[in-house]
Amino acid sequence: MSNDSAKRHRPALSHLFWWFLFANGGGLAALVLPVHILVQGVLGPLGVVPVVDRHYDTWINVLGNPIVKLYMLALISLAFFHFAHRLRYFLVDVGVPAARTVPAQVIFYGGAVVVTAVTIWVLLTTAPLSFG
Amino acid sequence: MTAPAGDEAAASIGPATRAYKPEMPRGWWLRRRHYFLYMVREFTAVPMAAWLIWLLFEIRRAANGPKGYYPPASPAFIVFSVICLGFALYHSYTFLSLAGVIMHMKVMGKPVPPRTIIAAMFGLWLVASVVVAAVLIGFAK
Repeated sequence: MSNDSAKRHRPALSHLFWWFLFANGGGLAALVLPVHILVQGVLGPLGVVPVVDRHYDTWINVLGNPIVKLYMLALISLAFFHFAHRLRYFLVDVGVPAARTVPAQVIFYGGAVVVTAVTIWVLLTTAPLSFG
Repeated sequence: MTAPAGDEAAASIGPATRAYKPEMPRGWWLRRRHYFLYMVREFTAVPMAAWLIWLLFEIRRAANGPKGYYPPASPAFIVFSVICLGFALYHSYTFLSLAGVIMHMKVMGKPVPPRTIIAAMFGLWLVASVVVAAVLIGFAK
């Protein structure tokens, strides 16, 4: 009896782990992605405001900052775990039940891991670390 | 974030029981506005991912050095950003509104009403946007 209930209440740790990344990635993207797109994608190219990525020296200077590096890593990496989770269920919803399987999970979450690794590589190799 | 089919329930069914497999007709999400908006919300991941991949390229392009770096300015890029912005805003709106349902907290022993949590989330969104914009514009020349 007690064994049974213990079994039933075992927390789904892997689910918790992926859901934690999913929720935080979604939350961080919800809070800051619109302003990035608006400023860097629309207002900057239109010349409405000066933006840090319009000139090489200001852009490389900001990218050298360790806080900016950590922020960019958190934003891009966590968001991709969010996207992986959403796209998997999106595919299930449009009629691709295979998106539920373990190989599909490996592909989708593995993809987010790959994006994370590439992001770390880009952030470490593009701009030298500077504290100025 | 479960599908309407309820995969949580399906996942917990042991081998002894027969799994109920709900049949979803193709295009079920086109039947009602509510279903359609649900699918739009789930789809926001695609344009947002595309824009972040662009951002990663933008960071990487700084490796070309001062001579090889050109800031993006094409009309196609601006149109792409405007489309992504629409989806990103819809994601923010739906995700931050959901916080009132997901988060439960108590202050001095009393549960905080969902409305307050949602208002706090939208306030946080405003503050975060102002801070990010200030950095992106403030460190420019």
